[in-house]
Amino acid sequence: MANSTLEMVHGMLYGKGLRFGHPSGLARVIAAMTGDHADVIPFFGPQIHDHAMTVAKVPARLYYWNAELLVDTHLAVDRWYGFDSDTIIADAYNFEVEALGGKMIYSDNAMPTVDVSHPLINEASDLDKIGPLDSTKGRIPMAIEVGQLFLKKAPGPFAGGFFCSHWSLLCQAMGYPKAVRALKRDKGFATALFDWANDRVLYPYMQAYAKAGVKNANGADAWACFPDLTPELIEEWVVPYALKLRQQCKKELGMTVAAGTAAGDYCEEDPAKFDKEIMFKCWEAATKTMPLNVAFSGMGRTQDWDMTWLREFALQKGKGGHQLPIMASLNGRFMRDSSPDQIIAKIAEWIDIMGRDGRMLVFIGNVPADTPPVNIHTAVKTVRTLGKYPIATDLSSVKIEPPAFQAFDEWLKGQPEADVILKAREWKPENKKVFA
Amino acid sequence: MSDKYGDISKAIVEGEDIQATKLVEAALAEGLPALDILNEGVVAGINKTGELWAANQYFLPDVILSADAFKAAMVPLEPQLKASRGGQPMHKFVIGVVAGDMHDLGKSLVCAMLTSAGFEVIDLGIDVPKEKFIEVVKQYKPAILGLGAYMSTTMLEMKDVIAELKKQGLRDGLKVMVGGVPTSQEFADEVGADAWGKDAMVAMQKALELVGGKNG
Repeated sequence: MANSTLEMVHGMLYGKGLRFGHPSGLARVIAAMTGDHADVIPFFGPQIHDHAMTVAKVPARLYYWNAELLVDTHLAVDRWYGFDSDTIIADAYNFEVEALGGKMIYSDNAMPTVDVSHPLINEASDLDKIGPLDSTKGRIPMAIEVGQLFLKKAPGPFAGGFFCSHWSLLCQAMGYPKAVRALKRDKGFATALFDWANDRVLYPYMQAYAKAGVKNANGADAWACFPDLTPELIEEWVVPYALKLRQQCKKELGMTVAAGTAAGDYCEEDPAKFDKEIMFKCWEAATKTMPLNVAFSGMGRTQDWDMTWLREFALQKGKGGHQLPIMASLNGRFMRDSSPDQIIAKIAEWIDIMGRDGRMLVFIGNVPADTPPVNIHTAVKTVRTLGKYPIATDLSSVKIEPPAFQAFDEWLKGQPEADVILKAREWKPENKKVFA
Repeated sequence: MSDKYGDISKAIVEGEDIQATKLVEAALAEGLPALDILNEGVVAGINKTGELWAANQYFLPDVILSADAFKAAMVPLEPQLKASRGGQPMHKFVIGVVAGDMHDLGKSLVCAMLTSAGFEVIDLGIDVPKEKFIEVVKQYKPAILGLGAYMSTTMLEMKDVIAELKKQGLRDGLKVMVGGVPTSQEFADEVGADAWGKDAMVAMQKALELVGGKNG
């Protein structure tokens, strides 16, 4: 197994101009984030859990309950695509509410989902009755095992646990409209809700992670994107509680916890409404909670953005004349619904605008389950080709041939994850107690 | 008198649900026509919210509260609107936002316009699963089913709902309309809908066309 510490050092040196050897994926990411660039623009491993399940053809009712299967499937599919890092999470928004007794919807083909029509929290008095989180309940033990396996099998600064951050947790527990009403109409109740989420749910969860040796965790907070919340509400509520949990866990558990990830993500759907001033406010809020020091384009309709705005923001926030590293995120639906040629053209446009001086990473906001694999392979190949330093003067003159790749099942033969994945395919609900 | 309508409109724009109900009740008690209260107060208010949303001056939290106030205003108004039609049968319009989608404003506007045009609107709300649409179509046998979505991910649900209607033999005799920001006439054609409502006003006009130009 590669030594992640050495890879990181290699990346740091490479990024500072000491260009020797062949950088690993992790080294490429570190070079782009701490220096200028490695040999090529890195492709940061996206959130891919249900897509990976679909590619690997493993049953949902096993995949979302079995840590080893979930981790191995991620690692195999990530490597099949050739990403430079891994993001291993399950249905991150559900675990806490499920463990607290919330009603869930389980499916044979898709991830578990909180049934928001039967909310866990209906009124203020419920807060006294619910919690603290018992880390032996629901799928919390599985989440902890995922974190342990992630650290063991793909160590590095991005390995660790996952959780659902404060605001999204409240939306999952009571429904978005009710949670918004609390923020806008009853600050006392809103404060009680955020305190409950922090003290009765998330801190006990982080204690369980820390006890299991998982000292790094990222808390997703997509319900805190714009326009679900305004930048002002994010700054008022989401950022302070994210920082509170971060500081509390650092001080009391020696743990690195990034809550509020994806807060401030600009997700306006209508291109006619894109607003530079609001975007800048959103990115400003996002940099306060992001676990990585990057300008992040997130899950929004980024294919229609003017990326010169993101570059302008990154230059404003950077130091010493360098831009803040940009995590340029391709929209998941764009990746699913576009032709390979459209994907190539979009990546070429972005590299031309943001990647010439380094400090650029490519990412996908979230890969939908039914995304054609050829689209992902095309994106990776395009970044590998057009993102090679020094970047070609005229990217439109560089021809990208269709990616050549083996079918996943062919490729899987002989891979370390093959046994776990193939065995999972034989699993039938009747072989074992059905999970739900 | 116009101030009363203006006050109702303002309460809706500002998301003051309790105030909106009280103002509508007071207007009815004074004998103001229910249809005028609807059009000049309630619909004007929710339309103004829509304008502020389109202009990036209102955001989803504001819209949620405004939609709350709209619904609150409709509670005392709906029985009066029905009564004003003399008990004549109205075409039923079942409407809902598809599963996974929490956006309410567009649908609220459409509901207001349809009510104003004399439809009996059965509003299933937001995040409506396919099974619920089927169940309600069986129960109410509406003239039109309206499906709304605000996101390009969730709009794909519409195709599933229409397919399920066909599968269960419910599609014949039922008109289906689709609408919402990411939808288009092309999308409506692709999923096999009978009409696409570009906005609330157009939705009402097309709904009337689908039922033969008259209602109530």
